[in-house]
Amino acid sequence: MTSQSRPPRIYTLVPAFAGTLLGALIAAAPASAAIAPDVAHSPNAEDMRTAYWVMLFLGSVVILGLIGGLLVAVRRFRSTGRADEPRRLTAGRGIVAKVAGALSAFVLAIFIFGVIVSDGVKQATAEEGTEEIDVKAIGQQWLWRFEYPAQAEGSFSEGIATIFSYSELVVPVDTKINLSIDSTDVIHSWFVPALGPQVWAVPGEITETSFIADEEGLYHGRSTVLSGSAYPTMRASVKVVSADEYEDYVAGQNAALSEGQAAVQEAGLAEEEE
Amino acid sequence: MAPPTIAERRPEVVTRRVAAGRAGWHVSATSADHKEVAKLFLGTSLTFLAVAVLAFVLTRIHLITPDSTIFRPEIFSRISTASMTSITVLFAVPFVLGVLGYIVPLQIGARGVALPRLNQLAYWLYAAGTLVFFVSFLYTVPESGLSPLPPLSDDVYSPQHGIDAWIGGVGLATLGFVCWAINMVATLKNMRAPGMAWRRAPVLAWAARVVSYVVLVTGPAMIAGLTMLAIDRNFGGVFFDAGEDGEPILFAHLSWLYFTGIHTIMVVFALAVISEIVPTFSRKPLFSHSAVTMSLVAVGVLGTLAWMVNLYAAPIAEGFTFFAMLMALALLVPIGLIYAIWTLTMWEGAVSTRAPLTLAIASAVALALGLGGQWITSVVGAGLLLENTVAAQQDTILVIVGFVLAGFAALHYWLPKMTGRTVADGPAKAAAFLIVLSASVYGLMMFFAGLAGQPVDVHRYFEDDGVSTLNLFAAIASVFLLIGIFLELANLVRSYGAGRPVGHDPWRGSTLEWFALSPPPAHNFDAIPDVRSPEPLRDIREAIREREATFVPPEPLPASAPPEVGVPDPGDEAGMSDEAVAVDAPTASPDDIVAGEKADGSDSDSDEEVEPADEAQPEEGRAASDEPHEGADLDTEDSEGPGAGSDPESQQESASQPGEGSDPTDTGESGDGSSVS
Repeated sequence: MTSQSRPPRIYTLVPAFAGTLLGALIAAAPASAAIAPDVAHSPNAEDMRTAYWVMLFLGSVVILGLIGGLLVAVRRFRSTGRADEPRRLTAGRGIVAKVAGALSAFVLAIFIFGVIVSDGVKQATAEEGTEEIDVKAIGQQWLWRFEYPAQAEGSFSEGIATIFSYSELVVPVDTKINLSIDSTDVIHSWFVPALGPQVWAVPGEITETSFIADEEGLYHGRSTVLSGSAYPTMRASVKVVSADEYEDYVAGQNAALSEGQAAVQEAGLAEEEE
Repeated sequence: MAPPTIAERRPEVVTRRVAAGRAGWHVSATSADHKEVAKLFLGTSLTFLAVAVLAFVLTRIHLITPDSTIFRPEIFSRISTASMTSITVLFAVPFVLGVLGYIVPLQIGARGVALPRLNQLAYWLYAAGTLVFFVSFLYTVPESGLSPLPPLSDDVYSPQHGIDAWIGGVGLATLGFVCWAINMVATLKNMRAPGMAWRRAPVLAWAARVVSYVVLVTGPAMIAGLTMLAIDRNFGGVFFDAGEDGEPILFAHLSWLYFTGIHTIMVVFALAVISEIVPTFSRKPLFSHSAVTMSLVAVGVLGTLAWMVNLYAAPIAEGFTFFAMLMALALLVPIGLIYAIWTLTMWEGAVSTRAPLTLAIASAVALALGLGGQWITSVVGAGLLLENTVAAQQDTILVIVGFVLAGFAALHYWLPKMTGRTVADGPAKAAAFLIVLSASVYGLMMFFAGLAGQPVDVHRYFEDDGVSTLNLFAAIASVFLLIGIFLELANLVRSYGAGRPVGHDPWRGSTLEWFALSPPPAHNFDAIPDVRSPEPLRDIREAIREREATFVPPEPLPASAPPEVGVPDPGDEAGMSDEAVAVDAPTASPDDIVAGEKADGSDSDSDEEVEPADEAQPEEGRAASDEPHEGADLDTEDSEGPGAGSDPESQQESASQPGEGSDPTDTGESGDGSSVS
């Protein structure tokens, strides 16, 4: 019953706790990521970064404004005596309409900004003359299958099969990659932060996105939709290589495919002979 | 088991003693009194708050190391599913229904609710839902996260019956919420006190209205979705089967509409509770009552319509994503306005930082962080970067934490009404600091981790993701969060039966629930006053004050026989003076109070208006006919500044509370231990 008048001991723990956590925060920040997302390597990914940074700034201002006003009011007009009865303000309500109007205008401006910056963020806008490659990305529990176009003319696979790879997508640099995303089982999500937005892979529905990688390298992504027990391993990587290396890769895959199909055919013939 | 009655009942109020032979639990379980039902809602939902927080901390502890082997993957998914379902469906909504179901009928001056048995059915449907969901722990727990999206949740990929239990549990609980909402809408429409036009209805009553309609829109949608999913799973349906021209995304829409509705309910409730507490504890009226209530409506509409912000990555047309973005961005207008009004309400007020206000401010801080984060994510470009990562999830968790703090604030504020006892301030303030601080640290850590690409719902991550340290600190913060929440829960439980007894109006509130006794009798009010402003109880006090100021005894009273005077509230002894007692004495009768209030409302001091208040029909028409008085009412408000400031008048207020006045022999805290209530 005395807790009203005498603050309990746990109060003394609060500053200590705050200090510990603040220290932890400072220690943790350099140890790993900061507030910057992965560096963008595709035009639409850059648009996403723009939206993120502008909104992070505006959002922080808004949050600080909302909280700050309250805390200042509490601190400044804190009262311990019971006797003081403050004035009842009945005038000055015009400010409500002004605040609402200002906020509405602010929101409208941000909406327009959001539409402009987000329009077509799912697709990378290419300059004139950029080469394009259509790749199918097919999600399944718990890996990605990529099907490349049948480019190798005259090869065994022409018109019959396309070359494919699992988990790692190999694409040439500075080329627009049009991804058609599909799923053969449950809902997955294609998300390589450096190369563009996340896009769901929904069975029975082809979703599309594209990217233009501006630098060679290996970019990692992961699915963000729960897809079953091995969902954390549902990852993807995109290997961006030079145009020459890409041609070599395609040729190698084609050769391997022809070889494999020939072997299968041989086995089939042998079976027939029996 | 209801707490022992503190206030003496008036002799004719004997209805509850007729059943004195029954045990407390029997009364609670069978009573259709909205207060008993609401207490069941509150008790059950707080249990699931504890369950959800425990499960949440278990998942965070599991994630301290990258390739954790504490739980097997499916066990982890079960724990996290239980946590997320508990915090949303089994805690958040029923808790809101409990607080609103108890307080709102009192606030609008109703003697009960319109459809009491439907209200009771609502609780038992919800209770059955919790049972169905947790019975699944006996065979297979659902493993599909907060919202089991088909095809993952259909019979091919989840052949165990955990999902069926989830469907049954959530479906039954939601059916209960819908029943509750029907009753609340009917109650609010038909049972408001005479004179309580909608513009005079308290903020929490408006919140109840908004919450009811949100439930009525989103609940049936979810029930439809669950039914389709159940048919798909058990009876060969193809609603969500893409192979048979079904539409898997449909379930995502329906379930996100529902969960966004729950999110909206949490926000509306928290904003309303803080809007009730801030004026009371700054001793000023809400800066603009109508702006707050309209903003709550706007939050309800915009928040619910913004459900597609969770589906930016899904195959929906770009126009829909921009629509959702507009709705989510526009939420800043009503919410920012409400924050501004809180600040303006406290400005130049006498702010008393008792536990309800401290918890309310802590809640406002957590809500601002969470809603601000969601506001950032709602721009499509940023959303496609952050959505479905832990960076977006932590926004939701901060909103939930803000909601929990607002819930605690509401309990601190209104438990004295429910039990007649206060809840201890000290532990609550410590818990408020702990919770808001640890939640912010958790949020910051998860924000970084999300930017580094940690998705939601994962049971493991990899060493080279660079998020191990962040997850470690997040786990530590979540443990402190658990300590804070459990500290406050323990405080509430302890104070429920053993808190310091206070009077009927410990905070000098200005809405009608403080007119009732604490705890209120089954019929809530002996007399229902007419309402002339959004602050009816303040008007009543004002009327009494004016009458006493002009009271001249016809001749000096004989010194030997002063009328018996009620002992003042223990919490208010500071305000007592001999003068106040002496002036108080002649007015201590409920009839006088009602008559006085009515006289005040009609702008005259005559006692001739003797229309019995309890027979007045609280109809819309009646409310509308009161409008001509509005001008007079405003005049009174303008002219009362100096009167309110002068000392002796404000002091006698504590001695002339209507609740005590209702029984001249009331001794304040003569605990009536024998009454079963």
